Amino acid sequence: MAHQSGHGHGHASVATGHRKLADWIDVRVLRQDGPGQASYWERHRIPYEPEMNVISVLQRMAAQAKTVDGRAVAPVAWECNCLEEVCGACTMVINGRVRQSCSALVDRLLRENPGEIELQPMGKFPVVRDLVVDRGRLFRALERMKAWIPVDGYFDMGQGLRQSQSAQEEMYPLSECMSCGCCLEACPQYTKIELARAEGETDEAWQARVREAYDLGFAGAHAISQVMLFNAHPTGRNNASERLDALTDPGGIQDCGNAQNCVAVCPKRIPLTTSIGRAGRAATLHSFRSFFDR
Amino acid sequence: METNRPFLVRHEFLLRRLHSLSGLVPVGAYMVIHLLANASIWNGPATYQSAVHQIHSLGRALIVVEWVFIFLPILFHGLYGLVIIRESQPNSGAYPLVGNIRYTLQRATGMIALLFIVWHVFHMHGWFHGEAWRELIDPWGAQFAPYNAASTAAEAVQQSTLVTLLYAVGITACVFHLANGVWTIGITWGVWTTPGAQRRANYVAGAIGLGVLAVGLAAWAGFAFGVRTSDPEAMDAIRAIERRLLQEKIDSGLITEEQASEKSAHFGAPTDR
Ligand code: HEM
Ligand code: SF4
Ligand code: SF4
Ligand code: FES
Repeated sequence: MAHQSGHGHGHASVATGHRKLADWIDVRVLRQDGPGQASYWERHRIPYEPEMNVISVLQRMAAQAKTVDGRAVAPVAWECNCLEEVCGACTMVINGRVRQSCSALVDRLLRENPGEIELQPMGKFPVVRDLVVDRGRLFRALERMKAWIPVDGYFDMGQGLRQSQSAQEEMYPLSECMSCGCCLEACPQYTKIELARAEGETDEAWQARVREAYDLGFAGAHAISQVMLFNAHPTGRNNASERLDALTDPGGIQDCGNAQNCVAVCPKRIPLTTSIGRAGRAATLHSFRSFFDR
Repeated sequence: METNRPFLVRHEFLLRRLHSLSGLVPVGAYMVIHLLANASIWNGPATYQSAVHQIHSLGRALIVVEWVFIFLPILFHGLYGLVIIRESQPNSGAYPLVGNIRYTLQRATGMIALLFIVWHVFHMHGWFHGEAWRELIDPWGAQFAPYNAASTAAEAVQQSTLVTLLYAVGITACVFHLANGVWTIGITWGVWTTPGAQRRANYVAGAIGLGVLAVGLAAWAGFAFGVRTSDPEAMDAIRAIERRLLQEKIDSGLITEEQASEKSAHFGAPTDR
């Protein structure tokens, strides 16, 4: 390969031609003041600078905290962390497509859609405020699927089994998942679950209710793929059957409708639909085994 | 908490797998055979009538076969399909990707298929038996008479331009749904998993789809245009063939006069005419 861009995910270097794409950038942002409240659109305008990303746009917007008609407003809230597309925290819907705001380059967005950028929070998770969403269901799905390898204990368990090169090469891409939620946002089978806390409900009761609701919903492509990752791991395999049980529980693999959006939007290009096919096969065999062979 | 979950939730995995399987067998397999049998009209009314006689030679067992292998599986697949559709949130407008558009079309053609099949069974078969009911729904339902198969089927399909078009749309929707379903079922059950394998399977599913579409539209064209219902002489000739074949069955004792009158058009024993 002659040229490999920065972190390997195909952002061919942006043509930096000194042409100024615009004087101003209009940003239409879908805001919401708190959980369960009504959302509303707001327009902000910031001076154009070359080579911005959406995070730097959001920083300018927060600094001026003013709408396009000069009204002072509370700064727009958003989340970010790594700034290099590995944590997933900054995921939002930009110009109608879900992606990371740290790696969404403004010059490209303006070429796609001159003059204006549109920002929305992800639509499949409860909004906390503005562009910040609660992705608890995404992490709960990983918990459900036991997407880890239990090796904690009092004894040194020694070296793990050796893995073949080819097995490593199959597993490595699956391990790149950053739990961003793009695959869930784009999935037509993954529908929003948002509960309202009842008056006087205890923390425990509230959490149990949320968990039960989440557990009946579709787990999603990311979790299915993690099952395939940990079931392929020589040590993780010890819990393969528990993971397949979880995969065939309500909201499991069977809820996938093969739209294949997940694989198309995954920023890590994880072969999610291959995982889904393999998970479908493993789940069916597992259900046969647990019915006829126990 | 888990035991309080409704039946559809507790058995979701099994139901989804049965739904998937039922789409292919028996429903998909039946549909292909059904279209092939109807395409045999191109070999003339005698061939078609003989095919129908063969099916109806099952006698009373036909009812059982129809319910177990055709009606119940279609009802299960169709009604559970509605449950699945209700839980989905198509977004092919926001994400106009080929796979996603197909996903939306799978659901749209499923709903068209359900409406079409329910209407088609009414239009040809009438849903229920019984003289009074048949007279009540005439000319909207129960248009097909098994012992006057070619003539009544053609008259039914040519009843109006709308009916003719409905059949073309319904067949096309069902065939798309089956062909796309053949592709997705291979992912659902993990037969083709890698992008390369899925691409190759797509060609196969596409070829199957085109093949079945050709058969389906041939059957449709056979009844919509092949049989000239506007030509009284041609129709008399067809009815004569149908009467002759029926008379042979009656003579050899395979069909009673009573059955003959029940399953013939015009509600008269063929010998009277
Ligand atoms: C001629 C009749 C029909 C045939 C031959 C047929 C066949 C199929 C096949 C082979 C599949 C693929 C299953 C899979 O991907 O696992 C399928 C899926 C589906 N069918 Fe049908 N079907 C028919 C009628 C219907 C009807 C009447 C409905 C509902 C209104 C329906 C709704 C669906 C849905 C929603 C799916 C997608 C299931 C999923 O992706 O999980 N189908 N069908
Ligand atoms: S393939 Fe399955 S998980 Fe992926 S987007 Fe489609 S329905 Fe969702
Ligand atoms: S699978 Fe891809 S899109 Fe989904 S959470 Fe992981 S990195 Fe994000
Ligand atoms: S800030 Fe970590 S992915 Fe964007």
